[in-house]
Amino acid sequence: MKFFHSIRWRLQLWHGLLLVLALAGFGLTAWELQRANQMGRIDRELEQRMGIIEGTMRPANAPPGERPPPPGKMRLQPREQDLFNGLPGQRFYYIIWLADGRKGNVSESAPANVPRPERMPGPPAFRSRGPYRECFHDTPDGACVMVGRDITDEAAGIRRTAWLLSGAGGAVLLLGLAGGWWIAARSLRPMADIRATAEKISGGDLSQRIRTTDSESELGRLSLDLNHTFARLEAAFARQAQFTADASHELRTPVAVVLTQTQSALARERPAADYRESLAACQRAAQRMRGLIESLLVLARFDSNEPAEAFEPCDLSRIAADSVELLEPLANEKNVSLALDVSPARCLGDAGQLAQAVSNIASNAIRYSLPGGCVRVTAHSEAGRAVLSVADNGPGIPPEDLPHIFERFYRAEKARSGGEGHSGLGLAITKAIVEGHGGSIEVKTELGCTFTVRLPSAP
Amino acid sequence: MRILLIEDEADLLASLAKALREEGYAADTASDGEEGLYKATGVAYDAIVLDVMLPRMDGWEVLRRLRESKRTPVLILTARDAARERVRGLDNGADDYLVKPFDLEELFARLRAIIRRATGQARNTIEIGEVVVDTAARRVTLAGNPVALTAREYCLLEFLALHRGETVTRTALYEHLFDEDDDSLSNLLDVHVSNLRKKLGHEFIDTRRGQGYCIE
Repeated sequence: MKFFHSIRWRLQLWHGLLLVLALAGFGLTAWELQRANQMGRIDRELEQRMGIIEGTMRPANAPPGERPPPPGKMRLQPREQDLFNGLPGQRFYYIIWLADGRKGNVSESAPANVPRPERMPGPPAFRSRGPYRECFHDTPDGACVMVGRDITDEAAGIRRTAWLLSGAGGAVLLLGLAGGWWIAARSLRPMADIRATAEKISGGDLSQRIRTTDSESELGRLSLDLNHTFARLEAAFARQAQFTADASHELRTPVAVVLTQTQSALARERPAADYRESLAACQRAAQRMRGLIESLLVLARFDSNEPAEAFEPCDLSRIAADSVELLEPLANEKNVSLALDVSPARCLGDAGQLAQAVSNIASNAIRYSLPGGCVRVTAHSEAGRAVLSVADNGPGIPPEDLPHIFERFYRAEKARSGGEGHSGLGLAITKAIVEGHGGSIEVKTELGCTFTVRLPSAP
Repeated sequence: MRILLIEDEADLLASLAKALREEGYAADTASDGEEGLYKATGVAYDAIVLDVMLPRMDGWEVLRRLRESKRTPVLILTARDAARERVRGLDNGADDYLVKPFDLEELFARLRAIIRRATGQARNTIEIGEVVVDTAARRVTLAGNPVALTAREYCLLEFLALHRGETVTRTALYEHLFDEDDDSLSNLLDVHVSNLRKKLGHEFIDTRRGQGYCIE
């Protein structure tokens, strides 16, 4: 049955079960108390009358001038007689059996065919027999005195009480179930919202959020947490979509070069020099695509959190010096001077990746320097960190671009400068490498700009 | 027909310019937005091919500023193909849109189409008496027989045909038929006109003394 798996139905089931148990317990106790009380009262009345009858049977109690009654016989005074003439249905009766089993005094109100109770020495005992309650006592001389009464009315009263209690219990049960159903529905209502939203999101609409105004209840907090998760998911998807769009966009231009060059070259017979020129242009486009694809693969590897290759102790100052040496030709071409100021800065890492990171930052600095500018690369150790910085005295980075320069495909200048093999991924890759090494990278811009990389140092 | 190419990828710019010239167009080039806007506002181009991602001034800005003074047909060329971008381009005054990478043939066809629309022609054949100019196939027939024309002759004829009934000045012809790299001497225009007359009939092109040429 499907609804047994529903939280609401299960809550309702347990709620109903507990309610039935509690009500039954209360009802039974109340009924039992009422019944015991009633019976106690009746029994006390019976005992009282028993005392009177037994009193008149005692020879010492015979009224003066009269002969004491024989055993098993007695005479009641009219006032005492009245005690046995109650309302019909409440009428008390008495029966006295003599020691030999014959009946002695029997009141007019006594029902017919009352069996003599078993002999039972000791205090008066009670029995219920049909609609009658009877109290009996064996006297020392072997006779048995019984006082009884019809308890039909009281029994009916007790039954009425039972019905009343059952009725009230039933009503309370229904009310409780309805209330429970309502409360369960009310407190589970956010679940429906959560579910509807989750369904829409899994259907592809990541902009959906759970509507919630309540931030205190468990479900309210869950909704807030889920909304937070959904927002992060949406942002991640948007970033991924943007990245894919950017990557395909970056590939479109070189493909356009190859297509136009080849279509134009093949359109008619040409001199060999023209073909060579076309092929050279195609080669440049293909090299640009290769560079881009390699960068994309590097980033994809960082994104997929592939386990880092075993890090080895390396010296950031050596890496910086090597990078600077490799960048000399670029610096000369741009008429930018390179200065190196390093002291040992040992850290754990992948020397190849770190060299790529350093060279990305430094070549970036050279590229954005003005002719005659200077790029200064320093490395040193400081407070448990290996610190590398690259400073230039170029025009700096406009403040509006500063927060974005580590984003993929972001370029301060809103255009390609593809001829230099600059894809807009260099700083993103650098950041991924540095963070993959447990380090941090920051950039400051004032009189040129300074990139600072901090890595955990190694002994 | 003179076309301005504004594109910052040098190889693409060079190959497009070359291909357009081979098609008989006069092609000027600009490799950034500022240079492009300067040329576009200074010369009466028949069409402009405009890349969106440009250094110094992006294509949207070039288009916006160009539209303040010029109605030159503009074909936007870009690497972004999101519908939003296409809508933005067309809404901002572009006449057509082509996404990289593209086929040269398609670029030429779209250029012909925006030039044709700009001159008010709905069809791509122009009939002048017995002469039929097919601007799509770039072919000319005289009484049903094909006429062999050089690329320049064809361009001259097409330009005059598209401005049929108007007197086209020599300056306008120079502006529309020769690009900034052409060093053709002015008398070459007369040579082309004279060749066309030989091939299509002497009365075909009127000379308006001191004003220019006209096809009635």
